[in-house]
Amino acid sequence: MASTEHREVPAARRPALTGDGVAALSAQVGEGPALFARRRAAAARYATAADPDRVSHLWRFTDPAHLLPETLAAPRAAAAPPSPHAEHAAARVLMLAGMRPLITAGLKALAAGLVVKPLAEAEEELEALEAREPAEGADPGSGLFQALNGAAWNTGLYVGVPPGAILDEPVHVLIDAAGGGTLPRLVVDVGRGAQAVVVEEHTGGDAGSRVVSSSELHAADGARLRHVLVQTWGEGVCGHLTARARAGRDADVLTVFASFGGERSKVELTCDLAGEGARSEMIGVVMGAGRQRFDHHTRHRHLAGRTWSNIDFKAVADAAARSSYTGLIRIEQDARGSEAYQENRNLLLSDRSRADSIPELEILNQDVSCSHGATVAPVDPEQVFYLQSRGLDPDEALRLVVRGFLEKTFGRLPGDLRERLEDLVGARLAALQGRAS
Amino acid sequence: MNSNGDAVFSCRDLRVFVGDKAIVKGVDLEVRAGEKHALMGPNGSGKSTLANALMGHPSYRVEGEIRLGGERIDHLPPHERARRGMFLGFQYPVAVPGVSVANFLRAAVSARRGADVPVREFRQQMQAAFAELQVPKDFVSRYLNDGFSGGEKKRLEILQMLMLAPTFALLDETDSGLDIDALKVVAEGVNKAAGPATGVLMVTHYQRILNYMKPDRVHVFMGGRIVRAGGPELAHELEARGYDWIAREVGLEPAAAAAEGSRT
Ligand SMILES: Nc1ncnc2c1ncn2[C@@H]1O[C@H](COP(=O)(O)OP(=O)(O)O)[C@@H](O)[C@H]1O
Ligand SMILES: [Mg+2]
Repeated sequence: MASTEHREVPAARRPALTGDGVAALSAQVGEGPALFARRRAAAARYATAADPDRVSHLWRFTDPAHLLPETLAAPRAAAAPPSPHAEHAAARVLMLAGMRPLITAGLKALAAGLVVKPLAEAEEELEALEAREPAEGADPGSGLFQALNGAAWNTGLYVGVPPGAILDEPVHVLIDAAGGGTLPRLVVDVGRGAQAVVVEEHTGGDAGSRVVSSSELHAADGARLRHVLVQTWGEGVCGHLTARARAGRDADVLTVFASFGGERSKVELTCDLAGEGARSEMIGVVMGAGRQRFDHHTRHRHLAGRTWSNIDFKAVADAAARSSYTGLIRIEQDARGSEAYQENRNLLLSDRSRADSIPELEILNQDVSCSHGATVAPVDPEQVFYLQSRGLDPDEALRLVVRGFLEKTFGRLPGDLRERLEDLVGARLAALQGRAS
Repeated sequence: MNSNGDAVFSCRDLRVFVGDKAIVKGVDLEVRAGEKHALMGPNGSGKSTLANALMGHPSYRVEGEIRLGGERIDHLPPHERARRGMFLGFQYPVAVPGVSVANFLRAAVSARRGADVPVREFRQQMQAAFAELQVPKDFVSRYLNDGFSGGEKKRLEILQMLMLAPTFALLDETDSGLDIDALKVVAEGVNKAAGPATGVLMVTHYQRILNYMKPDRVHVFMGGRIVRAGGPELAHELEARGYDWIAREVGLEPAAAAAEGSRT
């Protein structure tokens, strides 16, 4: 069910960013000269970045104009909410536009060497990181959003896990979309052989809220990183979320993404398999209702030999909701002996809902194993009838079918995560009550 | 086992249409508590259409009266019919991937009762039913009908029937595709279900299972109608002589007795 929607490419209505504006944002987060210089460089890229190309797959389903904030003025700091408690977490962080992140770290995690601090104060750490891993170059396609976030981020966090440290509880980062423009920037650096779970949860906001978020995740050689990206925005929120991960030699990255809220959202997930033997798995769930629009893009780039990647993405669309997925697998010439898999299944709960799925494969080495599959299908009425004949009302029957649809994907998740996502799905499914008859 | 119980099920002048095409053309039936009836007819005669329409399948237009325990149910959706005690054993049970047999059964038993069954009680009930139908224990965690063999699906239908304790069980070719041992197990299940509160209608085109479940009444269904009814001896006669002679006697072309003869 591929879309054939073609519109004139609109000039993205870009919010203005003056030199004074950049300075004000810099002053508000309290960064030093080195970070300010980076910010100005990003502002220069923002001024000259081309509009996203609406003809390419990447931006075919979403008009970038919907995702941009009205203004990039330094937001007024909100009244500080109480600091979070670090129960069952290595650390808990609350991020709000224009406010210094509220951070509570557990003693055990601190003793293990965990560093969690405002990005503005992580100049040294960022320099060390860059010295170790030179940046891979601009993100193809969404340079505008990357540049915008780099120039105008108004809440930032650095998470560092030293080599060999093993955190057995997650770093939980809650990012509230309250206000007109939230531009969070996250840098996560997991050192050699270290292990960490970072939960990035985007929540809150209302019809006036826009979010342009950027996360950069580094899993050094032999590191194990789980990144959980959950979006539970309030009604009407629009935004663009990017996460770019890099996996070193024998590193293992699991990205779990789950999108439930908001009005229009675009999520771009990249993992560069940069070191030999690196692994990356992305597991995603989307549930949309009303007139929600979700646009997800995944990108696995196999840069080294014997790398492995897998994507399992499931979307459920009710009412007039729509999910679009584009997934790129690129296997470079040097990536001999690599494996890459991609599967996207979409379940439509109403005849007004729709889903698009477009895989893209760029394979430059023939000594690899690669497969992809996509399905878009309505709920089978015979399944519903069967369940109904056993006494389940149509809503219950539908909920059971949806749970069944997601079950195998959930089965791949670690227990605690699975529970959390099942709760979120359960809450969404409860909202299906009374929609069928 | 004959009884003078009340009618648990009846239908009058039942007609079932797909679009404008009549497939069931006026059926009257009555099943009392404790009774076992057999409805026999050739392939393509409309048996499954009748069974599905009785359960409330949304793709049919139905005219006539359907009663369960005296109450009109023809206007009710399938789940309300099920909660009032009607059960349909499907000829082709559909797979529901990702939904475990245990979760499904718990949801179904709770729906039939109108209240959640306590976990322990449910487990005991489920284990007893599994033992009775000789279904391996590991089926509890398998996905509903997903990758089950024909025989496994049919056993699971009977298992559901026993757990849901219907007042009227309609079994559509539950005997087809079973080896002799499975056939006996299924027949025992049917015999057990037909009790003081429950009547059974077995829909089949073979008389084989009837050797084990001994029907009180046999109805011959052809061309969308019940063309003959009698005692168990009628089943033996069909076994010996086939369907064509009845078709001729009632003035149907043998070919017209079945719209299509290929589905089994
Ligand atoms: N939903 C439907 N749409 C079109 N034709 C149908 C439908 N259901 C049943 N039929 C037709 O009705 C006839 C009887 O089929 P069925 O009830 O399956 O017979 P039986 O169970 O006796 O073998 C067949 O010709 C079949 O194709
Ligand atoms: Mg049939």
